[in-house]
Amino acid sequence: MQPKKIMICDDDRGILEMLELFLELEGYNVICEINSTHLTKQLISHKPDLLLLDLWMPILSGDQLIKIIRSTPEIKETPIIVLSASVDGPEIAGNLGANGFVAKPFDLTDITDKINSILKN
Amino acid sequence: MRKNASGINNSKQRIENKNNDLDLYLKALNSAYSGIIITDNLQYDNPIIYCNKAFETISGYAHDEIIGHNCRFLQAQDRSQAERKIIKESIARGEECKIEIRNYRKDGTLFWNELFISPVKNDDGQVTHFIGVQNDISDRKKAEYDLREEKSHVELKIQQRTKELQDKESFLSSIIETVRESLLVLDANYIVLSANRHFLNSFKVTTEETVGNLLFDLGNQQWDISSLKEMLTRILPTNNPVIDYEVDHIFPHIGRKVMLLNAYRIEFEGQYKDRILIAIEDITEKKEQNRRKDDFLSIASHELKTPLTTIKGLFQILQRLSAENTDPKYVSTLDKITAYIDRLNLLIAKLLDTSKIQSGNLELHMDPFEIDKTVQDAVESMRLAAPDSDIQLTGNTGSIVAGDELQIIQVLNNLLSNAIKYSPESKKVEVSIHKVANFIKISVRDYGMGISYQDRLKIFERFFRVSHIQKKFPGLGIGLYVSHEIILHHKGTLWVESEPGEGSTFNFTLPIVTNK
Repeated sequence: MQPKKIMICDDDRGILEMLELFLELEGYNVICEINSTHLTKQLISHKPDLLLLDLWMPILSGDQLIKIIRSTPEIKETPIIVLSASVDGPEIAGNLGANGFVAKPFDLTDITDKINSILKN
Repeated sequence: MRKNASGINNSKQRIENKNNDLDLYLKALNSAYSGIIITDNLQYDNPIIYCNKAFETISGYAHDEIIGHNCRFLQAQDRSQAERKIIKESIARGEECKIEIRNYRKDGTLFWNELFISPVKNDDGQVTHFIGVQNDISDRKKAEYDLREEKSHVELKIQQRTKELQDKESFLSSIIETVRESLLVLDANYIVLSANRHFLNSFKVTTEETVGNLLFDLGNQQWDISSLKEMLTRILPTNNPVIDYEVDHIFPHIGRKVMLLNAYRIEFEGQYKDRILIAIEDITEKKEQNRRKDDFLSIASHELKTPLTTIKGLFQILQRLSAENTDPKYVSTLDKITAYIDRLNLLIAKLLDTSKIQSGNLELHMDPFEIDKTVQDAVESMRLAAPDSDIQLTGNTGSIVAGDELQIIQVLNNLLSNAIKYSPESKKVEVSIHKVANFIKISVRDYGMGISYQDRLKIFERFFRVSHIQKKFPGLGIGLYVSHEIILHHKGTLWVESEPGEGSTFNFTLPIVTNK
């Protein structure tokens, strides 16, 4: 079976590297994107099975990106899990139609639990 | 002879008639109320040759003590009166005069003498005698004196009172001009009667532009604010002051201002009524500072959480990567690091809590729950976390309260950990839960260092730390503030009773929904 493809978009390099390492250990195919303005293009070209998305990012923020993704036909079905330290994160994620939310700092098991439950469906 | 005899008889008769007349005159003089004297101007020093009874009564001297003296004996030692000159000159010129002069009775007491002196002239026009008529006008003089005294006393009082009022007014006006708060006085029709310097400076206007104008017309109607109008129309009819009424308004010249308005109806008996005093405090800057502080807290906690997420994740990866036969010490070290990361995360979460409370974004998930069980659980987990402590729980209410159970647990944890933290010498902590009227009262008592009165006043303020314990017991000064706010949001109260050296009791109440 092909490993599932997961894309991560976060402006913090530390989080990107840590999640990449972990998810690869978990057996996923991981693509990282630190520049949020490149994300749409990357999504269209890689068609990942799931997107882990940060909210507070410069230039193009996570909430703007969700709106763009949900209105871009090729990628609008991409499951999105929002990762944020922001207080209003859960609300934003819910309102904009993300598939899940995990608060930073998280337990890695929370991430795998969320990914598994979404990918199962 | 007969003629002669009859002539003598006639003479005798005339003398007899004259004597009778004289007797009558003397009687009349003696029954007069005024003192009367006659002096002989032809003799040396104008001696008194006659005085009537009333003169004796007025002067207190007997007839024999009076006759032969000059009238001045009545002046005793009081010789410097201006009236003396008048008498002297009148006598010298042979004219009459009327004066009021201070005289002294035989016993030395003063009496005021209204003296009328009139000359008696012979056929050659020579002044032979003077007649002096005297009236004791002491009572009248005293009344006049008293009246004068009273009048000058009253005048003095009026002067003093006027000065006091002037002082008071200048005192008040110097206060009004000095306060760093804008003050306006309006009449009942909202016409500005006065404005202090701070108002003029703050709103960039002059007295001429302000006083005498309708408040709502000031500065191109910049005060024509509907909420302000509404507030003012409430004051006069009800007599209730308006306190800390917040007005947020964009002024044409000075921009947006957030102001706290206090308005009172003022009345000064007899002078005016139905005036309105408006005190305007500009809190724009204060609000902005608070907002910046909240923003800072919110950003800071967000930024702190980002690297923490990485560290936490990396450690979990390390734990996962440890081989089966890794040294247990290595594993336990990793576990400890993870625990400290969680603690750091908790501190950051607390910071964020304060910023949420400050910005009014504290979210409460109100559900009914059994408070007894919540308290038992909190105590139990604190016993596990601090095995050295001796936490005793008493009371059972069987009540249901409505609230955010997680937040209430946070409050309990806070109070319990404080009780343990600040009583290093005494391990005993007593927790009690009781029903008080429609409330649950929960108390956490420790036997530690206690809190001074001054510190008790500030202990629920954000970032407050009792200064001398900061080194020994480090902390952020957030826990009690957050707890206090949480309980307030649950419509309860949190308070402390404490004495230095005798420990502290923190109490809080929560409204009961139902009893089981």
